[in-house]
Amino acid sequence: MRNSPRPRRDGENNRPLTLGLLLLVGGLTICPVALLLLGSFTEGLGAFGRLTLAKYRAAYGDPGFAVILCNTFVFTVGSATVSTLLALFLAYLNTRTNLPGKFLFRVVSIVPMMIPHILFCVSWVLLLNPTNGLLNLLLREVLGLSSSPFNIYTLPGMILVEALLDLPIAYLVLAPALSAFDATLEESSRVCGASPWRTFFRVTLPVLRPAILAAFILVIVRSLASFAVPSVIGIPGRIYVLASHIYRLVATGFSPDYGQAAAVGTSALAASIVLVVLYRRLTASGERFVTVSGRGFRPSTLELKGAKIPLLAAVGLLSFVLIVLPVLVLGYVSLLPYSMIPGERAFALMSLKNWRIVLADPLSILSLRNSLLLGVGGASLGMILSFFVSWVIVRVRSTASGILESLSFLSFSFPGIVIGVGFLWFFVLTPLYGTLWALLIGYIATYLPYGIRPLTSALVQIHSHLEESSRVCGAGRLTTLRRIVLPLLVPGIVSGWILMATMFVRELSLSVVLSRPGTEVLAVQILRFSEDGLWGRLAALGIVMIGISTALVVTAALVGRRRSRAFSLEVS
Amino acid sequence: MDIRIHGVSRHFHSHGKPIRALDGVSLDIPARSIFTLLGPSGCGKTTLLRCIVGLDAPDEGEIAIGGEIVFSRERGIFVPPEKRGLGMVFQTYAIWPHMSVFQNVAYPLEARGLPRDEIREQVRRVLAFVQLSGLENRPATRLSGGQQQRVALARALVAEPRVILFDEPLSNLDAKLREETRKELRAFLSRLHITAVYVTHDRTEALSLSDRIAVMKDGRILEVGTPREIYFQSARRFVADFIGRANLIEGRIRDRQGDLALVDSEIGPLRCAAREGLGPGSAVTVCIRPENLRLLPPAAEEDVNRLRGTIESLLFVGEACEGEIRVGEKRLLVQMPAASRFDEGIVIDLGFAPREAVLLAP
Repeated sequence: MRNSPRPRRDGENNRPLTLGLLLLVGGLTICPVALLLLGSFTEGLGAFGRLTLAKYRAAYGDPGFAVILCNTFVFTVGSATVSTLLALFLAYLNTRTNLPGKFLFRVVSIVPMMIPHILFCVSWVLLLNPTNGLLNLLLREVLGLSSSPFNIYTLPGMILVEALLDLPIAYLVLAPALSAFDATLEESSRVCGASPWRTFFRVTLPVLRPAILAAFILVIVRSLASFAVPSVIGIPGRIYVLASHIYRLVATGFSPDYGQAAAVGTSALAASIVLVVLYRRLTASGERFVTVSGRGFRPSTLELKGAKIPLLAAVGLLSFVLIVLPVLVLGYVSLLPYSMIPGERAFALMSLKNWRIVLADPLSILSLRNSLLLGVGGASLGMILSFFVSWVIVRVRSTASGILESLSFLSFSFPGIVIGVGFLWFFVLTPLYGTLWALLIGYIATYLPYGIRPLTSALVQIHSHLEESSRVCGAGRLTTLRRIVLPLLVPGIVSGWILMATMFVRELSLSVVLSRPGTEVLAVQILRFSEDGLWGRLAALGIVMIGISTALVVTAALVGRRRSRAFSLEVS
Repeated sequence: MDIRIHGVSRHFHSHGKPIRALDGVSLDIPARSIFTLLGPSGCGKTTLLRCIVGLDAPDEGEIAIGGEIVFSRERGIFVPPEKRGLGMVFQTYAIWPHMSVFQNVAYPLEARGLPRDEIREQVRRVLAFVQLSGLENRPATRLSGGQQQRVALARALVAEPRVILFDEPLSNLDAKLREETRKELRAFLSRLHITAVYVTHDRTEALSLSDRIAVMKDGRILEVGTPREIYFQSARRFVADFIGRANLIEGRIRDRQGDLALVDSEIGPLRCAAREGLGPGSAVTVCIRPENLRLLPPAAEEDVNRLRGTIESLLFVGEACEGEIRVGEKRLLVQMPAASRFDEGIVIDLGFAPREAVLLAP
């Protein structure tokens, strides 16, 4: 009798669930990576036979490749620098000064989410392209110049737009660090006789260094994965970075070279994974540096005096440029037959023709339908998966659940276009190739962290006693999940769903590889319009897209507010 | 229902180091009594409670509730918590914030699939019992600490459990409310006549609430007894020290006269109540409670132990004065009437009766 198996502890009954999720999430994250690697050593798509190094030789032996690497370096580091500095400036102004109009900062950090990246890029092209950019035309007329003063199709142009795109994320990393900053550190420096500037450089910056570095690295990861800027701004200017180079290899020309794309992709993926691991390290040790005292302290605020108005104007201009300008430009262009500066002639020519064409265009309608389908269906499936994964990560706490957590973080570092190539190799082996299911699976695999993160942090807030007491009260495990855990997580699930849906509706970099005739999606359709220079139709479809995103984000913000109210009730 | 625990062990691994949270615990908890597991934090009392209720399972041993085996390592039995028919009040109360008072209390009945009318009636009855009538529709987030505690109690009681378990249910209340709630709880439980297992690290709670107490340390049960037995007659130094404030004086038994033992102690010869198994020559610890040390007039009864000491300090704490008296090299804690006024440095005589000194094996 002594050898009979030990009766299973309650938590151990979750083993099948944990293992099932591990297989599913592991499959979703490891499969594309493994096939990317495998594909990079083979002759061509689907041709798994003899392994060869030919694709690596071709990819990395190309004399143009050094230029691409150089461009990528300048592009990513450049946008990270600009973005981090701007974010630091904004976060400092918001948390540490008496600048009025603080609501602007919340707007700057949330609202850009409503404007899909590709549309943001397009609006800058419409403003600053050398042939008929609106701002260029305007300056030429006003100043009587013979040539355009600005050219967006340059590396600095790419850096500027990418930096603005990544500004919100850098701000969201830096602002909490700055507001948690213990002002007595600075005060004691002042008491020791240091000037405000000296204090800033000798105390404030060093203490914030981990947070600043974290923001910097995060922007590098994002700009490395960025596809909108390299495709819309980079390609017309013949400035290629890794992402657009991969795109060129798989999507243009007569014979797409998926093997070479995979070979290039592996290095981008490796760089991205290293950076994300570094980022995790920094944010983990960051808590050691940034001191948060439990007492209700108020960080001392800097009296701005005369600088108040110019600084406020700068922040206002930035929010205008980030939010109002793109929508304004798109709305304006959507009404015009071709690009021209606002004036009597422009208003005379305004019509809804572009709108009528787009709304009658079968391809645009199909892409709208597909994107909505993917947004709703993908977010629903994604949140169901996220719910179980988060529950296992937070509540089961075994080795397997630890691996699950790391896996679910891994896809955070996947550049969409690279992982898209990996998925392509995978889907070619399945009947899913060229279907919406391929896009759906790719979306969920790549954006799973966006569903899991908010749910795990919400679950951590729910004391395990709430579940345990349900068990003691006579409810089984499933009943407890349904009646206790699920209702308590509803706000988190809703906002996670909306976040995912927003991401899916605007998804570009993965779709550009996986989308096939019949499975066009909105962002890809926009890219096609931009490649063909059909700005008016692009703008009309873009406004529709912004409308969908805005509706989703506003709902998310409202739900988020209700959740914070519910939590404050619980605390009191 | 009685609870029988036999040879229960539970090991954890923390940072690679094995921890024996429960180390061969055997215990009989009699039916219809309030049984307290008392011990310092980390002694395994909560682990034992969680093993009884089924939220955790031992690595070894057997647990039976009312004769039904709910866990057995040898027979491979594990009854999940929802099938054990118990009630439990959690340390955090675990009131579900998304439900009203009624929904919280009705939950166990719904889980058992009772008809709606019956649920309504039973919830009404139990809420009246814990004096929460009229609060049925109050959202759970809008309850005071004491009300939450009573909702938790009502929820634990509503399905008429075989046993009700309490995991430090008073530790989240402030001092004054804790005292009131303790009395209330005692009243509820004695009216119910139900088997209750109560976990606490607070000796006052344990002494005032329990019919029996088991003192735990390092995953083992040290001693089981009534509150009076534990307080006055404990044989172990750890238990005597943990259950109340104590003066512990080292010594050795010189002689035994009837039911008295003569002890040569570090503060001189003492006469104490003899104890089975401790004969002449044994090293012992004499335990004297501060409230048993009295001031003696210069000439007084012969049958008390008389100690002469110097007042080191006298602290007024409201209901009494806590004195620290130096006798030889030893400082003794003495509880004196609140009105006492002595200057530091004054020499006084203290006394205690032999039966008020307990001999402990070292």
